[in-house]
Amino acid sequence: MTTTRREFLKTNVAAATAATMGLPLSEEARSAAESSEAGWQWDKGVCRFCGTGCGIMIGSKNGRIMATKGDPKAPVNRGLNCIKGYFNAKIQYGKDRLTQPLMRMKDGQYDKNGDFTPVSWEQAFDEMERQFKRTLKEKGPTGVSIVGSGQYQVQEGYVSAKFMKAGIRSNNIDPNARHCMASAVGAFIQGFGIDEPAGNYDDIEHADAIVSWGANMAEQHPIMWSRVVDRRVENEDVRVVNITTFGNPSSQIADDEIVIKPNTDLALWNYIAREIVKRDAVDWDFVNKHCIFATGPYDIGYGMRPPGKYSFDKETDTLQKELEVTLTRAEAIAQRKDPDETHQIKQENRNSAGKHWRIDFEEFKRGLEPYDLDFVAELCKGDGDESLEAFKAKLKRLADLYIEPEKRITSFWTMGFNQHSRGVWVNEQAYMVHLLLGKYAQPGNSAFSNTGQPSACGTAREVGTFAHRLPADMVVMNPDHRARTEKLWKLPDQTLNPKVGSHLIKIMRELQEGDIKFVWTQVTNPFQSEDNANHWIKAAREGDNFIVCSDVYPTISAKVADLILPSSMIFEKWGAFGNAERRTQMWRQQVRAPGEARSDVWQVLEFAKRFKLKDVWGEQSVPGLTGDGFEEGKLPDVLAKAKEMGYSPDDNLYDVLFATQENRKFKWPDPVAEGHPNETVEALGEDWFVEKALFEEYAEFGRGHMHDLAPFDVYYRDEVRGMRWPVVQNDAGEWQETPWRFNAEYDPYVSEGKDFEFYGPALKAIPKGNLDQITDSEKTAEAGTAKIFFRPYAAPPERPDEEYDLWLCTGRVLEHWHTGTMTRRVPELHRAVPSAKIFMNPEDADARGLKRDDVVWIESRRGKVKARIETGGRNRMPRGYTFVPFFDEGVIINRVTLDMTDPISKEEDSKKCAIKVYPA
Amino acid sequence: MNVSGILVIVPPDQVDAYCGQLDGVDGVDVHHTDPPSGRIVATIEGEDTDAEIATLRQVKAIPGVLLAEMVYHYVGEEATPDYAVSEPVPAKLRASQGEG
Repeated sequence: MTTTRREFLKTNVAAATAATMGLPLSEEARSAAESSEAGWQWDKGVCRFCGTGCGIMIGSKNGRIMATKGDPKAPVNRGLNCIKGYFNAKIQYGKDRLTQPLMRMKDGQYDKNGDFTPVSWEQAFDEMERQFKRTLKEKGPTGVSIVGSGQYQVQEGYVSAKFMKAGIRSNNIDPNARHCMASAVGAFIQGFGIDEPAGNYDDIEHADAIVSWGANMAEQHPIMWSRVVDRRVENEDVRVVNITTFGNPSSQIADDEIVIKPNTDLALWNYIAREIVKRDAVDWDFVNKHCIFATGPYDIGYGMRPPGKYSFDKETDTLQKELEVTLTRAEAIAQRKDPDETHQIKQENRNSAGKHWRIDFEEFKRGLEPYDLDFVAELCKGDGDESLEAFKAKLKRLADLYIEPEKRITSFWTMGFNQHSRGVWVNEQAYMVHLLLGKYAQPGNSAFSNTGQPSACGTAREVGTFAHRLPADMVVMNPDHRARTEKLWKLPDQTLNPKVGSHLIKIMRELQEGDIKFVWTQVTNPFQSEDNANHWIKAAREGDNFIVCSDVYPTISAKVADLILPSSMIFEKWGAFGNAERRTQMWRQQVRAPGEARSDVWQVLEFAKRFKLKDVWGEQSVPGLTGDGFEEGKLPDVLAKAKEMGYSPDDNLYDVLFATQENRKFKWPDPVAEGHPNETVEALGEDWFVEKALFEEYAEFGRGHMHDLAPFDVYYRDEVRGMRWPVVQNDAGEWQETPWRFNAEYDPYVSEGKDFEFYGPALKAIPKGNLDQITDSEKTAEAGTAKIFFRPYAAPPERPDEEYDLWLCTGRVLEHWHTGTMTRRVPELHRAVPSAKIFMNPEDADARGLKRDDVVWIESRRGKVKARIETGGRNRMPRGYTFVPFFDEGVIINRVTLDMTDPISKEEDSKKCAIKVYPA
Repeated sequence: MNVSGILVIVPPDQVDAYCGQLDGVDGVDVHHTDPPSGRIVATIEGEDTDAEIATLRQVKAIPGVLLAEMVYHYVGEEATPDYAVSEPVPAKLRASQGEG
């Protein structure tokens, strides 16, 4: 490029940047910027990466993306983009982009031991159909599965869930979002009776104090953090606290950094709650009107598979703790037991971990009693080099910050809470403190779980692509919910399967055990991202298991698959995402997909054409199925009822579930497209607007049911930058979003005459008891209340010992995202963090005769990987702690990690296990 | 060549001093300022995006810089791979038994 050309380009880029950010510009500069963009078409889009949901503008010309910029009109990011956001356009153009179906073949036939060979879509679907139907015949609906994603756009999640649940009558669909925020969901449902947060990002600008727990927002949610930084810098009195197990970049602007040991966040919350009670700071008006107290059992296990045939020898001692555990001294104190005795506790409630009951305030108070400053400080302090007195002073300042009546306080957390063997509990404890203080559901008073994926909320949760969920917070176990869903989907009674399907890690375990033989991965890379991966990588390649991987690049999951289907990427299709603050945002297709790549919606719709009703709606065996009106272990034949409804046994699932008469009324082309293409519709050879029809069909579930979404076209209006549900029409006919839920000032669902109302309907009726057990099993409900839970401290089951003497925590780094499928395709970005390193304290390295940049083995009971040591850099590890990011498929750290989960949410705890490190 | 537009925010009374510092960073050019709000628009350029990210990190690390983030990214000039002639089966997937 010539100097003149480069200078010209820079001048124009600068002018465009200044214009985007609203800086004063000379007329000359403005017109230069405009002329350089002549013939470009700008359209709004949403970032593909984390759950923040930043708006971006995409500039294209002749079907090519020319530039992207932060969307100045987007309230989330106000024109800014973080490094990842900036790669939205580039990720589409990696050299090894998958552009045609690839199948393992030998001698022109599918062969599990064959090599990947290009095939046509027709051939790919033929084999897939054969394998799917073979498994369906052998195992019934529980033998097949889909692993979905929090990166599904809304309609993708919807078609996959409907195909499996209504068509195949299988609940074996579960998203990677299971490991992102299932614990947050568990706490929302148990505590408020409805999923998703009361508050939103605007709480940042209203808060006097912002506390980050188990998160590193500076790296993982940089744009939200830039708002926190602004708030802190512009207001001297605002306080920021970072609570973490090791020093990270979010501490840079923190007034206090509090380094704690793994799982001791449970004790820290109870200390704050005890202080609230002791200082008589409970907001009794709020609590009496809007809350009840509750607790549940402690002996709930750790979501591990008990030792057995498939366990590695070395992992059996850890797995044994799933059945029985010896309490640590601190656990004994925290659970009101004599610390000088040995307590071996059988985990009796490992299959009923979610049960809970009402207690009175005196019992709640008694539960908190052990959590005084001395006990908690000693238990929590994570940095051996910090003095106990200095640490205690920090804890006291933290309690003061929460309790001070005039201060509005917002707590944020991410995977440190959600990927936690007591993740639901620790989420509930955050609400415990906020509710006791009456500091919730008001501007600036918020407790908020950040999400890691762009549509973990909008698709995985709201559409319900989980093994137990249906759209709009309904669940398959509830007969009323099934009936409503069957009505909306026009299915015969008892088509839907009442038995909860297999959650994500269970799908992996069952693949190994031979109960599941067909896995279709969509928009996710589970064979790299699941904990204890050695088991699952091996299982994928064994016997007659058939793995289909829909993806855009050759991931680990593609490598272990039998069939790879090339997918379209974000701006090569129409879509919608829902971010962490309930904001639904949509985009149009901007550019065409390369080669034979097709949208995930198209893939499911095409595959659905291959199933006739008589293939799937006859009697099906489902081991363990029970339910009112169901014969044990069986789904009934519903073909006769289907006939009465006008269906023929020879109708296919595409026509019955998707291309219905109602949906065909939404015609393509549609003016909302403004000339943009729709390759899903083109490839189907149809004239109905698939994405619009399916969105409107899906939205019916939530309308009038506390999850209202606006009509499809509204989201595409020029002035709209997403809307936070519930979105309802006001008297003037305008579509109005709900910034704060449960608060009468903002939320149309709060009943007349109430100031706050926690109206979520789920799990309201519960029995009564004391701290230890249920004493009155009659279930009663207190409408409109939230639950304040007492939850005790519980130690992680695997802790460093003599052999495996270090803690291992895993997570992300700024430049890469998840398993690196997309960010590692940008070669330059790849070089910024060429391969994952193990961060450790220099003294720990020294004690092992190691130094920075040495190559070491990282080994646990389950596996080992090689990496280089980093003793400096962006994270400051206390002695005894290590961190390895999980983006690098050359360092599959999940070969090392432990597949324990929160027993209520089934979300993996990828944040703690024991390892050793030695020279390679 | 990669060129991006970034927004830098510094204390409003020191905009001039920071402009000098920013211009001193390799690959950074200051183009526009708004002194009352402490906002500076600069471009960063580099051989590749790695160089750009490194430069952005350098800007972020200047003491007193309150914020430095990407706003505008130009991609138009970059070549896109010609999928028609790329390998039908990516190297990573060839003759593999799926070992990760």
